[in-house]
Amino acid sequence: MRRVATIVTLLAVVFALVAVSACGGDSEPAAEGSANITFWTGFTERELGVMKDVVADFEKQHPNIHVKVVGGIDDDKIVAAIRGGTAGDVLHSFASDNTGAFCSNGAWIDLADYMEQDDISDDIFPPAPRYYTQYNGTRCALPMLADVYGLYFNEDMLAKAGLSGPPRTMSELTDYAKKLTVRNPDGSLKVVGIDPLDGFYENAAAHWGPSWGADWTDDSGKSSLSTNPGWAKMLQWQKELIDWYGYDDLVRWQNTAGDEFSPQNAFEKGKLAMNVDGEWRVAFIKAEAADLAFGTAPMPVDDAQPDLYGSGYTTGSIVGIPKTSKHQDEAWELLKYLATDTGALVKMTNGIRNVPTTSDALMSTDIEPDENFQVFLDIFGHPETRTTPITVVGAANQELFDAFVTKWQAGKVSDLQGGLANVDEQIDAQLANAGGAQVP
Amino acid sequence: MLERRRSRRKAAWRRRGTVFAFMSPWVAGFSIFFGYPLVMTAYYSFTHYDLLSSPHWVGLANYRYLFQSDQMIWPAVSNTLWLMAVAVPANAVFAFGIALMLSRARAGIGFFRTVFYLPALAPPVAATLGFVYLLNPATGPVNTLLRHLGIEGPLWFDSPEWSKPSLVLLGIWGVGNLMIIFLAAVIDVPRHLFESASLDGAGPLQRLRYVTLPTISPVILFAIVIGVIEALQYFTQAYVASTIAGGSAAASAESANALGYPLQSTLFYPVLLYQQGFRYFNMGYASAMAMLLLAVAFAVTLLILRNSRRWVHVSGAMR
Amino acid sequence: MGARLGGDAMTSATVGAAASAFVRRRPPAEVRRRRFLLAVANHSLLIAAAIVFLAPFLFIVLTAFMTNDQALSPDLWPHPFRWQNFADVFHNAPLWRYALNSLIYGGLATLFLLVSSIPVAYALSRLRWRGRHAAFLIVLVAMMLPPQVTIIPVYVMWAKLHLVGTLWPLILPNLLGDAFSIFLLRQFFLTIPEEYIDAARVDGCGEFRILTTVVLRLAKPAIAAVALFSFLFTFNDFFGPLLYTQENPANWTVSVGLSQFRTLYQVQWNLTMAATLMAMAPVIALFFLAQRAFVEGVTLTGVKG
Repeated sequence: MRRVATIVTLLAVVFALVAVSACGGDSEPAAEGSANITFWTGFTERELGVMKDVVADFEKQHPNIHVKVVGGIDDDKIVAAIRGGTAGDVLHSFASDNTGAFCSNGAWIDLADYMEQDDISDDIFPPAPRYYTQYNGTRCALPMLADVYGLYFNEDMLAKAGLSGPPRTMSELTDYAKKLTVRNPDGSLKVVGIDPLDGFYENAAAHWGPSWGADWTDDSGKSSLSTNPGWAKMLQWQKELIDWYGYDDLVRWQNTAGDEFSPQNAFEKGKLAMNVDGEWRVAFIKAEAADLAFGTAPMPVDDAQPDLYGSGYTTGSIVGIPKTSKHQDEAWELLKYLATDTGALVKMTNGIRNVPTTSDALMSTDIEPDENFQVFLDIFGHPETRTTPITVVGAANQELFDAFVTKWQAGKVSDLQGGLANVDEQIDAQLANAGGAQVP
Repeated sequence: MLERRRSRRKAAWRRRGTVFAFMSPWVAGFSIFFGYPLVMTAYYSFTHYDLLSSPHWVGLANYRYLFQSDQMIWPAVSNTLWLMAVAVPANAVFAFGIALMLSRARAGIGFFRTVFYLPALAPPVAATLGFVYLLNPATGPVNTLLRHLGIEGPLWFDSPEWSKPSLVLLGIWGVGNLMIIFLAAVIDVPRHLFESASLDGAGPLQRLRYVTLPTISPVILFAIVIGVIEALQYFTQAYVASTIAGGSAAASAESANALGYPLQSTLFYPVLLYQQGFRYFNMGYASAMAMLLLAVAFAVTLLILRNSRRWVHVSGAMR
Repeated sequence: MGARLGGDAMTSATVGAAASAFVRRRPPAEVRRRRFLLAVANHSLLIAAAIVFLAPFLFIVLTAFMTNDQALSPDLWPHPFRWQNFADVFHNAPLWRYALNSLIYGGLATLFLLVSSIPVAYALSRLRWRGRHAAFLIVLVAMMLPPQVTIIPVYVMWAKLHLVGTLWPLILPNLLGDAFSIFLLRQFFLTIPEEYIDAARVDGCGEFRILTTVVLRLAKPAIAAVALFSFLFTFNDFFGPLLYTQENPANWTVSVGLSQFRTLYQVQWNLTMAATLMAMAPVIALFFLAQRAFVEGVTLTGVKG
């Protein structure tokens, strides 16, 4: 009996020691006069390495601030951590969608005072990033690197099919896609020209919409999915192409496609001839598939609206400070550096190949030239380039619509116009009710 | 005389003290982690609460949204009901069937028993991952084998019609625990009952129906109750399957949106509750959903137990 | 032939009538053949079912040895055998850390649970007091309700204590008892013959001493089964760790780590299957080492149901 008790006690002590050591690692006391802050970012692997480099430069300029960089953070983690009181001091999110939510409920602090104190005006940001980092007059975030979407195409495959130059209209795109598709002897898809299924890689309504001149809201701010003709056109076009492939065949093919952010990416592996993707892919291809002969171009546009050609969709990363941070002054220093320092932004641009978000950085001569990347810089500057509206319910509007699009593409919707009107109603209802009376 | 009474009273007090001391951990645990939260869930269900600011009262608004406007509720409820109606009997039938076969086997019982029990040991996440891979419509072994037989296999986890049956298959694979319980019960059926039945001219099927089944009816009840309870809490397999299958090619950041993939066919009630409460942090609304779940769990369990008195035989040998 | 069959059937019936006391005669050839065929059919079915049940394991193992490109193709047999996959898994994700977290969670939870549940189970089974039956019913009810019903306020509580992101919200409640373990232990304690306990009482032992000396010693198999179940439950637990540690990868357990494996580390099916295999291995190994306790524990839950 006593032996059992001893063993149990010993085990308990061992476990307790291990437990304490395993979870006590994070907080080391800061030296006098200095601060330890944590920077949460969504980047991983190679891209995270670049961020750590940039942060190291910052630490050299501010020797009394030590920054711990944590990668792989997504919005779910941010949202949960702020509520649990365990979030970092500077937070980076890939999706500007949540700006509305963060700013309106005070999760991220209002930066107006800090900006005034350091004499920073938000004109230094181009219009789109300036828009998606504030909500209703409250600026709780700054932009840090933007994303621009365009068309990637495999030059070898195009040449082999006798096609010259990228497609510029949707009917050309359809034509190209059909010519570039290759099937296996048993009928299954081997190489797909372009995959229009929503949810695959970067396919989302928001990314394809601008090609059709489609807007999410009308002038009065109400959801315009059913009233703006671009959406219906887009959905019809997608469905026709999907039916040509065969919905089941396309789903089966998707299951042979590698992970989007892995070296088995279908486009990089030659399983996909053309793909809608962001400007970061240029760096990924350089690192993972250097032999791939590819080209980039703006998205093809609606045949009826040729003037749109050269524009595209943009959104970007946002950085801010959660209200739970205990070192807001030091966090602001890092934030200011990441968002406004031209050297830092250029370094990030060269390493990660995202678009820099200050006018100064955009025009910097230190950006390493790359003709494929230049295409995206041009799209970014095009006046017709669109971004998604910032709402207080975050990306709920996009999620609702994408859910509908998926259903439509699977052939489960018989009344397109009615379905679109229904989604409009849902979006408007959510927006009207958010933050108070009814629910989510 | 007085001495004895006093000592008896002292003993009674000491006994009560002992009981209290022994029960105290559970009493404390029950109050803190069950009683109090139950009351608070009810309270939160009448508020709008996102954990960033204090809850603010909205009356019946959450319930109104729940019963009238939320388009996700109906899929969640019907999926969970479907699971109860299909998975519970399927598991019971397979567990019983295998147990029956095992009980009749002459050789290698130990080996077979281990084989059928082993999958039940696989951690649910690992098992689900394995099945998602196995049932991969293009490259998974199952469809590859079917193709060799000339059959074009379905899209399994990628198909709204086949995703729930795929989950049921996963459940049947893991039926080992239930099978062991059925096995013990089947073996325990007294032989003399069989013999008198065959004397009366009963064939094997009739013996099954009139001897075996009634005798093991408490275990059947147990299987049903456990199955229903599990269906009402079903989360892990649905979460893992939908996020893996749904996210198989998509951007990693939006895994929460893949819940219910494809087309909300794997959106079960507990999954929706989790999404509302811990992804969107609509805690007031999620609490309203939790209250509904409580009511349904209560009602269903009561229904089964009340109904069971009719067909469950509690014989002398089993309690 | 028919007459003989009829004659034999009648004879066996007559014999059967006095079955218990008599040695049974060998049943007639036809009956024996039928029984033999049935046994063969039964065995073939069993073998077929066993193959179906083992096949998933087989395919998981095979895939764990493939290269990634092969895992994405319909090939069934790895060409070549890539042993490196298992090392690559650790390169891609800190599986060791996840395993340690699972161990800490499981070990501490089981320890606390045993310490707190044994007295409760004893009080519910061997002490006589008013309200004992009602308390047991409440324990049963608590076991049956879905955890989602109470999860929100509990989460809020832990968030306010700043413990979200750690495993403590999962470990600490076990200090205050666990309904399932209480149930199992109570069922077992009920089977201890009253004489042992009475003898100890007569010797002047207080209830606590009775518990620790007499009952614990007798209940070792049940306690082992409960500990085993508890460990198994914590290792397999997904909802709990997902809820409380999702935002903090350093505290992920194996189950959470495995589920996030492909989204975070852009991993390939071959590595995912290798990781899956490694996640299954400890439990299966444990089973083979402790078979008896397993089966006994499972039976404890059901038969007395």
